Amino acid sequence: MEQVFAYPAKWWSEAVTVWLVVAVVIYVIVAIPGLYFIMKYRFKPGVREIGDHEKHGHWGLEALWTIVPTIIVLVLATYSFAVFKKQRTAPPDAMTIKVTGFMWGWQVEYLDEKGNTIKTVVTSFNPSSYEIPEDQKIVVPAGKPVKALLTSLDVIHSFYVKPARITEDMVPGRITHLWFQINKPGEYWVFCREFCGTGHSHMFTKLKVVPPEQFALWLKSETNVANKPSQIDGNL
Amino acid sequence: MREAIPVPYFGAGLKEWLFTTDHKKIGILYLTTSYIFFLVAGLFGLIIRLEQTSPGIQYVQPDFYNYLLTGHGAVLLLWWAIASHIGGFGNFLLPLMIGAKDVAFPRLNALSWWAFFGASVLVLLTLIPGNHIKMMWTGYPPYSTTGDAGVTAMYVFIIHLIGISSIATAVNFITTYIKMRAPGIHFWNTNMFVHCLIAANVIQLVGVPSLAGAVTMLLLDKYLGTNFYNPAKGGDPLLYQNVFWFYSHPVVYVQILPVFGFFSEIVPTFARRPLFGYKTMIFAVWGITLLSFMVWIHHMFVSGVPDWIRVIMSYTTILIAVPTGIKIFNWMGTLHGGAIILRSPMLYALGGIFMFLIGGLTGIPNAMVAIDLGISDSLFIVGHFHYVLGMALTLGLFGAIIYWFPKMTGKMYPEGFGKLSFWLVFIGANLFYFFQMVVGMLGNPRRYPDYPPIPEWVTLHHIQTVGAFILGLGVLVFTIGIIKGLLSGEKAPDNPWNSQSLEWRIASPAPVDNFGEEHPKVEPDYHPYKYGAPPAF
Repeated sequence: MEQVFAYPAKWWSEAVTVWLVVAVVIYVIVAIPGLYFIMKYRFKPGVREIGDHEKHGHWGLEALWTIVPTIIVLVLATYSFAVFKKQRTAPPDAMTIKVTGFMWGWQVEYLDEKGNTIKTVVTSFNPSSYEIPEDQKIVVPAGKPVKALLTSLDVIHSFYVKPARITEDMVPGRITHLWFQINKPGEYWVFCREFCGTGHSHMFTKLKVVPPEQFALWLKSETNVANKPSQIDGNL
Repeated sequence: MREAIPVPYFGAGLKEWLFTTDHKKIGILYLTTSYIFFLVAGLFGLIIRLEQTSPGIQYVQPDFYNYLLTGHGAVLLLWWAIASHIGGFGNFLLPLMIGAKDVAFPRLNALSWWAFFGASVLVLLTLIPGNHIKMMWTGYPPYSTTGDAGVTAMYVFIIHLIGISSIATAVNFITTYIKMRAPGIHFWNTNMFVHCLIAANVIQLVGVPSLAGAVTMLLLDKYLGTNFYNPAKGGDPLLYQNVFWFYSHPVVYVQILPVFGFFSEIVPTFARRPLFGYKTMIFAVWGITLLSFMVWIHHMFVSGVPDWIRVIMSYTTILIAVPTGIKIFNWMGTLHGGAIILRSPMLYALGGIFMFLIGGLTGIPNAMVAIDLGISDSLFIVGHFHYVLGMALTLGLFGAIIYWFPKMTGKMYPEGFGKLSFWLVFIGANLFYFFQMVVGMLGNPRRYPDYPPIPEWVTLHHIQTVGAFILGLGVLVFTIGIIKGLLSGEKAPDNPWNSQSLEWRIASPAPVDNFGEEHPKVEPDYHPYKYGAPPAF
């Protein structure tokens, strides 16, 4: 069996494929006859000067193109509902992290079994490049579902995990959530996709997916803010 | 006062233009203003596009970029996409199409225009460096309550003035349609443009107060210390989004419905055949109007609202595809068996319908909440709404400008400029927005002046910029065509397209007193799409 790269990206890609097929079929069904009519029924002086003015409509046809699209879209919406349920429900064995957005970066907290923060990664704002220091990458284990609890310190941000194709806004005063699982170790983009001001396009970091053993070692090591006061203000 | 204003349009003096209550002059004032604003906001768009061509900051700093983006969005949505066809074409055509002398409340109409003018002046004031608004046209708090966002108050007052103008216009148009139709004009022989216009104004009347409320609370929060949107004091930023989108989603139908009206006027005229499925078209318009108020959460699919409401609004949103689909099918049905003349208004209308077809199909993944979680706030949505609101709307408006140019100015729009500009706009726009959707699907977030140098992204951005400049050239050609038509266009006959609709029965340009008497005589079997005779051209 082929190795799945990431969740919920797998289901997302399937949904996109389903939509794309439906859309292309509908496009062909509408556009090809439309173009054909434009070519065929042309005004020709002396030959074809008036259109067919008896036909004002056709109840059968009109009913057909009301009912069939209704069925198609209801099926699509229901399919989307089923996928959505999986996208929003983290598996029970998911590891929880807390991510807090601020202008312009994230603080990521890793928790122990009791829910205490044992390690923190804070990204810093770099307006001039897309390089990211090693200790500011969000490290997660490969092949393990990760549930992220999201909130914000100042304005609304969002947390877009590009490889997993999942986004959720980070709203001050609320805790929102998403979950993802990346199976292949590597480095992947994370962006803010909710407009948050001057530094919006440089609110980014990398997700570093490592084998679980390496993750366990990393979790015990020093962090970029382990022994320093928090770089960001406010009560988390 | 009719004898005091004997000369239409160019003959009229400045005083007459300033104090006019004539629906046609007010329409032209709206149209001219929004066209100029369209050009400026389009130029903003080109700078935005240029900045995104390559990774890195090249031409404009992020803060200025954010101002350009805010201006581009707000001005194109509120001026080009609303004022030009509601204020502009709506004013000009509504009384002519229903056979009335003017709108119901001509002085209120003038007040609408002056409120709109006030908003236009405020927009121009934001061009002054210290006055930039940088919070995007959506103005989400808490960002918009910070100093970084720019002059939020200015934005609020612009919305208030536009709101006054919109509500007054809505009351005026709805009353005009109900009370002032010529004897013989009834619901089942009204032009599709009028049906769409009235539906759009019903949305305005119901929706605008909601937006006005949202921004008023914003003003109070930022300047007077209230806490409607402040989570630290028990407020909720999502309250703004709900109240804002309750109007700002339906408003897209305010923007696109009159354009559907343009398509429905132009296509039968140039296919020389009745509009196919006229009655289902009317049901579709009102179906869209009703549904439009039940879908706003699809703008907030990732905002943290509960999952159940996302699913419900995913269903209601996707259902809008049905009435919009019906309209497209009916236009195709009108083409079938026609005697099609590809004059430039027809090219623009058909091009607009094809853009709308793609725009509609790419709307489906935004309605499917499962897909939206992966593409929300990416360039995909930007490409999608530039297909529908950007291009279907602009092509429809350009077609309408050429189509009614004779009635407005007494001259013909030069056909060569119409055809050339159409092909430039059509090709440029597809090149631009199609690849914008592709790069969005690949994950590129929106509202980014800078982005990491991911090779596919860079290539796709290069293609978009090429498309944008072809599009810009097309708009330039079209604009030169307008000027050329005004200065040296050939004199227009009264009914150059041999249309059956009422507005073509009067002289070109439309005389000051419209039909000369209170109402024109409308024969019992009048229908605006009763095509059966060969055209005169």
